[in-house]
Amino acid sequence: MPTRDPKVLVNEVSVTFESHGRSVMALDRISLQAQAGEFLCIVGPSGSGKSTLLRVLAGLLRQSAGEVHIQADHPGTPLTAMVFQEHALLPWRTVRDNITFGLENRGVGRAEREARAREMLVMVGLARFAQHYPHQLSGGMKQRVGIARALASDPEVLLMDEPLAALDAQTRTIMQEELLRIWAGLGKTVVYVTHSLEEALLLGDRVALLTARPGRVREIYPVDLGRPRGLEVRGSPAYGALLEKIWSRLREEVVRAIEDDRGPDPEKLGA
Amino acid sequence: MKALGRWLAEHGITIGSPLALLVVWEWASATGLLRAVFFPRPSTIGAHLRDLALDGTLWAHTATTLTRIGWSFTLAAVLGVVIGLAMGLWRRLREGLDPVFAVIYPIPSVLFLPLVNFLVPAGEIALVVTTAVTSFFLIAFTTTHGVRQIDRLVVEAALHYGARGWRLFAAVLLPGALPFIFTGLRLGLGFCLIVVVAVEIVSASQGLGALLWLSWQVLKVEDMYATFFVIALLGALLSYGLAALRARLVPWVPDVGAR
Repeated sequence: MPTRDPKVLVNEVSVTFESHGRSVMALDRISLQAQAGEFLCIVGPSGSGKSTLLRVLAGLLRQSAGEVHIQADHPGTPLTAMVFQEHALLPWRTVRDNITFGLENRGVGRAEREARAREMLVMVGLARFAQHYPHQLSGGMKQRVGIARALASDPEVLLMDEPLAALDAQTRTIMQEELLRIWAGLGKTVVYVTHSLEEALLLGDRVALLTARPGRVREIYPVDLGRPRGLEVRGSPAYGALLEKIWSRLREEVVRAIEDDRGPDPEKLGA
Repeated sequence: MKALGRWLAEHGITIGSPLALLVVWEWASATGLLRAVFFPRPSTIGAHLRDLALDGTLWAHTATTLTRIGWSFTLAAVLGVVIGLAMGLWRRLREGLDPVFAVIYPIPSVLFLPLVNFLVPAGEIALVVTTAVTSFFLIAFTTTHGVRQIDRLVVEAALHYGARGWRLFAAVLLPGALPFIFTGLRLGLGFCLIVVVAVEIVSASQGLGALLWLSWQVLKVEDMYATFFVIALLGALLSYGLAALRARLVPWVPDVGAR
């Protein structure tokens, strides 16, 4: 591993929720690092706290214990910008005004905002839709706006919470290629949560596998599939072998998560 | 010509059904099936409407009523939106006011007239305040709900992108509630018209309600129907006007039930 300081440092972070008088542990002493410019994917079964971890990184949620540190290299830009699963655009703002929302809040001048918006619109291929409202766009286009909004503020780290999960399979494939293209052009540090192992292997430099609740890091896998990477990587033997290897572990966690959801086995209780 | 044909095909029923009703009414009154003393022929009513308009009576009464609606609606809208927003934003305030509102709201507004007369000078002010009561509650209710129904995820995203304080209110919470505020305003405006006519019937000598009641008491039934017609027309115009304003000010909501 390189010796320089990690861009993202998550050290022994735990998150406990109080719900109906009971406390539920979502994350249990989780530790992770991401280097500058790295594309780190996080996979795990439902309820493994993937999104919770991202919300802690985004500053939307405070951890119960442990520390989070994001290395700030460019003063004046936000530490993180998040692409939300359900896009979470402001319905009353046009595409352009959604993209510049964060800049407006930081007091960036009008001329600079508009220049930035134009640049982002071109990058995500929505230049013709600047004046549209979100309800006039398809799901894939909305998510492009979500990505443009996040990148417009030039964050230190880009956080993505299952950004393609709500899209249909074909649109998702197109968007994965788009993401690879955009990321290759910017070299941003990305922390990307997904439940799709295939997506993680296509996009990521490394894949962190979380356990069923409470979420812990079960293992971290380097994805040595070369760059630039395209959809054709899915046909390579190395891809197949890695997929098989991680899936066998992920499968165990998914089965455990399903059993946890079902509650204790009544027959075992009776014995 | 073709466009007109298409328009007629589209809106034929909307225009045709009231017309058909009028034709049946005309026929029934003319043949004596309906007693013309109580149900005069629409053509006769139309003639009276024209006379009332020509001698200026109708305009004076309409202007009086419109002025009253203007004041009471403004009062109800300003207070309703401000208090509704505050109730939407602060839980404690909402919990405190909800039971009070729940008790007062269902009381028919006209019944407030004597009460309001104790509090403010009798006359125009009392009339305007009474008219505003129900409208205020409607607007406050819908505004509160408008704030409460804003998607939490959207608010979270706005916070994440640095919206705080006034920015959060003006760029997120207010526009988020605006479609509901407009629904409240439209309902409130309708209630202003209903209540002002009722209040004018019981306690005014000017205004469409007064004209209506006077016409009935001296059995000028044709004038009564003419006034009816004006009130109905006024209601429709106010409602459509506000709907048009909504379409301009809330362009991000797909056009559902704008009419």
